[in-house]
Amino acid sequence: MSAGVVGPPAAAASSSRPPHRLSDRVRAERKLAFYLVAPAVIVMIAVTAYPIIATIVLSLQKASLDEPGKNTFIGLDNYGYVFTAHLFWMDLIHTAVITVVSVSIELVLGMLLALAMHRVIFARGLLRSIALVPYAIVAVVAAYAWQYSWSLDNGGWIPRLLGLSGDPLSHQFGTYVAIIFTEVWKNTPYMALLLLAGLSLVPDELLEAAKVDGASAWQRFTKITLPLMKPAILVALLFRTLDAFRIFDVIYIFSQGANNTATLSQLSYSTLLERLNLGLGSAVSVVLFLIVGLIAFVFIKGFGAAANPGIETN
Amino acid sequence: MRRVGAVLGGLAIAVALAACGSSGKGPVTVNWYVFPEPSGSFAKAAADCSAASGGKYKIAINFLSNASDQQRQTLVQRLAAGDPSIDILAMDVDWTAEFASAGWIRPWTGANAAAASKGVLPGPLKTATYNGRLWAAPINSNTEILWYRKDLVPTPPKTWGQMIDDAIKLAKEGKPHYIEEQGAKYEGLVVWFNSLVDSAGGGIIGPNGKVIVGPSTKVAAQIMKRLATTAAADPGLNTSQEGPGNNVFDAGNAAFEINYPFVWSGTQSTAPSIFKHMGYAPFPAVVPGTSPKVSIGGYNLGVSSHSQHPQLAFDAVKCLIAPQNQIRDAVKGGLAPVLASIYDEPSFEKAYPFHALIKAQLQDYGIRPQTPAYQDVTLAIQDTLQPASAIDPNNIVSKLRDEIKTALKGDSLL
Amino acid sequence: MSVKARQRSGWSLAFVVVIVASLVPVFWLLMLSLKTPASATDGSFIPHHWTLDNYRDIFNQSVFTAALRNSIGIGLIATTLAVLLASSAAYAIARLDFPHKQTILAVALMVTLFPQVSLVGPLYNLWRQIGLFNTWLGLIIPYLTFALPLAIFVLSTFFREIPWELEQAAQIDGATPFQAFTKVIAPLAMPGLATTFIIVFLICWNDFVFAISLTATNAAMTVPAAIAQFPGVSQFTQPIGDIAAAAIVVTIPVMVLVLLFQRRIVAGLTAGAVKG
Repeated sequence: MSAGVVGPPAAAASSSRPPHRLSDRVRAERKLAFYLVAPAVIVMIAVTAYPIIATIVLSLQKASLDEPGKNTFIGLDNYGYVFTAHLFWMDLIHTAVITVVSVSIELVLGMLLALAMHRVIFARGLLRSIALVPYAIVAVVAAYAWQYSWSLDNGGWIPRLLGLSGDPLSHQFGTYVAIIFTEVWKNTPYMALLLLAGLSLVPDELLEAAKVDGASAWQRFTKITLPLMKPAILVALLFRTLDAFRIFDVIYIFSQGANNTATLSQLSYSTLLERLNLGLGSAVSVVLFLIVGLIAFVFIKGFGAAANPGIETN
Repeated sequence: MRRVGAVLGGLAIAVALAACGSSGKGPVTVNWYVFPEPSGSFAKAAADCSAASGGKYKIAINFLSNASDQQRQTLVQRLAAGDPSIDILAMDVDWTAEFASAGWIRPWTGANAAAASKGVLPGPLKTATYNGRLWAAPINSNTEILWYRKDLVPTPPKTWGQMIDDAIKLAKEGKPHYIEEQGAKYEGLVVWFNSLVDSAGGGIIGPNGKVIVGPSTKVAAQIMKRLATTAAADPGLNTSQEGPGNNVFDAGNAAFEINYPFVWSGTQSTAPSIFKHMGYAPFPAVVPGTSPKVSIGGYNLGVSSHSQHPQLAFDAVKCLIAPQNQIRDAVKGGLAPVLASIYDEPSFEKAYPFHALIKAQLQDYGIRPQTPAYQDVTLAIQDTLQPASAIDPNNIVSKLRDEIKTALKGDSLL
Repeated sequence: MSVKARQRSGWSLAFVVVIVASLVPVFWLLMLSLKTPASATDGSFIPHHWTLDNYRDIFNQSVFTAALRNSIGIGLIATTLAVLLASSAAYAIARLDFPHKQTILAVALMVTLFPQVSLVGPLYNLWRQIGLFNTWLGLIIPYLTFALPLAIFVLSTFFREIPWELEQAAQIDGATPFQAFTKVIAPLAMPGLATTFIIVFLICWNDFVFAISLTATNAAMTVPAAIAQFPGVSQFTQPIGDIAAAAIVVTIPVMVLVLLFQRRIVAGLTAGAVKG
């Protein structure tokens, strides 16, 4: 789970262009800043850069844990195998389907939940606390809870409730539904929080004025609230989409990718640590990383989602 | 002078005592990692062998997961990381080549090898061998035979063709008629396929590692497809594994079942009314008149290359596979023994009325390809053959050959 | 019914729906954890036969207690390291002016969105060669990859809200810089630090991918990985009762934390835009 934050305000970016000659004070401030920031940045880059670079290097080799010490350089061949593999494209489609469907549902439900959290005054704290439970629960626990609820073999209550005769988890569609359901349950609160931030910024006076003018609730929502929330919605979509695309825990617990529900993360993990094929598995990892970067790029440049949606703090 | 002598004498005694004390530290713990054997027979074997070692070692039994895949996963992760706390590991028979080639287990040589292979049936012994050397000590084996409903089928079929015909006939008569086989996308499917191919006189990978997929594959594929597309097939064939398949038989809906000996005591306790009519016969042949070669399963005990006490580990294994332990494993735990002599033991014969069938299939055996890339090969086979109803016998040979060749090179995503 | 009353009952209904939906799976796990192994799969919501055996079971096995120890220890250490390093960086970002500030924040944000699975391969490969496989340090280092940037991001948001002028005001009133810092600024910073600590700790507590790839035994395996690898009682059944009991034990403290700190957590995750 990611707990990224709706962006910090774009304040404190005072100088747009450094003056020709920096004053002593500015220089001292920058020096202090450097010493304060450097340790964190260095550690951050060190712990992330090594694995990233090593993954890229491994992806260019034929490397297997079955034959340690016999790595050979083969250039981009692994990528060729990945992109020509039927399984890769199928898993990509699975990942995309799960991402799109679950994020869409989360958006709608999250918006409703955000509205509820915003409007409800009575026991507001209680509502928010309970609504946050799915967010705070360990992903593995959530996965087991829902798997035991959906699986007929394990005595789940959902198949009985729906009057199903077969085990939903024994075929692809049923497993998809259960996985998406779990994802939506787990992440709607987080989506709701991100949307709530944007909701809080819609000025009440505007809505009151519109009500006085005779606008219906629906009109007020679509013509005032939504447009003003656009930056928050985009940020929420960005975070949730990137999160959903990396889905791993839930799939692993539900099915380990059986029933044709494997995702790219699952594919990468199984190639690396079950088939012990480090070269090929690293190539899949790099491709996954690039796709995630691409999605972020599309959101930021294409839809204008900003890490700093200009939210002011009072 | 005398006092100096006394002090020196006292010192000498003290040093001697200290030396004795340090060598009598207590038995060394030898860690045995194995699947969770439910009857407790393995645990008893470990305790008995520890006691019999005269204080030299104590076998600590550690249980892995139920599922073979997960067992391998856990072991591989730790062996590849050089974990020194694994001494003895229970290896599924198809892991031998991979583990040996990767250098994770020690070879058995000289007296150890002689002790581990003495009296062992040819099939199990072959599974523990790779490239002419012995890499593990067989502890138990497994093979599938035909179980059938005596009340529906007076004489058991001798070939697959016959069995499917019998099932279709029963279907027409409106009687229970399913043939339970393992058709899910997992190792059980490969066991089915490999048994058919070996029984048809062919093979998948030859002794020199070359892919020898040929006409026997087509024959095997045709049988699988025929089973999957006629009335003989259980609609749940594509997700059927050993346990669920037996449940269908216990429920009375199947006439035939290809499965392991565990079903005998299983059906006896769960479905006595069905058990009354339960008969057993050899695995059906593929070529009429030629006895089948059924792919054997089971476990072998290996000694880790990173073990800190290899000699003690070898000794412990030699005790764990001793006849008295194997007999108890068989009678209490339902695990078929690997020693030929046990098949003549009265207590074993009583618990295993079909013991002659099992022994014959372990002597004239089929075996899955022994290659270090077996993990990839089995995934490639599962990919190509599942679901069985979608097999196209006309292009299966070339398709499988290509898939396995790619898998052997390690270039495919599976 | 009047419009106002209808609206109110509408939102109350929503209230109930949210509460039920959020708690149903937790309730189901609780029920499962109290069922006997024989009745675990009978599908009834309320157990016919109650038992506390599952809880006794998991605490008797060393697997779970060791996993708890590992999760708490590794989580605390990783979070403390991350918050310490992040505090100085966040202080600079919030108080000082220097170039590339937004870049650093953007980079930190991007790093948190990195697919962890992509890091697992080379980490496992390196750890097994230098002996960090299955060790606390072997998990703490990868945890920093997401804990540190997240802490930087959340802390800098909190620190931005601190009215730093108060420090100067205190000094004008005669306090030494040290007094001004400890008596004025530090108390204002504590809520932000505490919230960041909680949020980051929850993320570390949650990790699954790194735990299953880089640990294997009681020495370092954390709770999520241990639950997923509970040895089965027999060859064919899943230890549902044990898993459910472990899940409840792990979830209760988390739920308590959330209940107590709901307001702060919401504030932290929404950059303080939402008031409790």
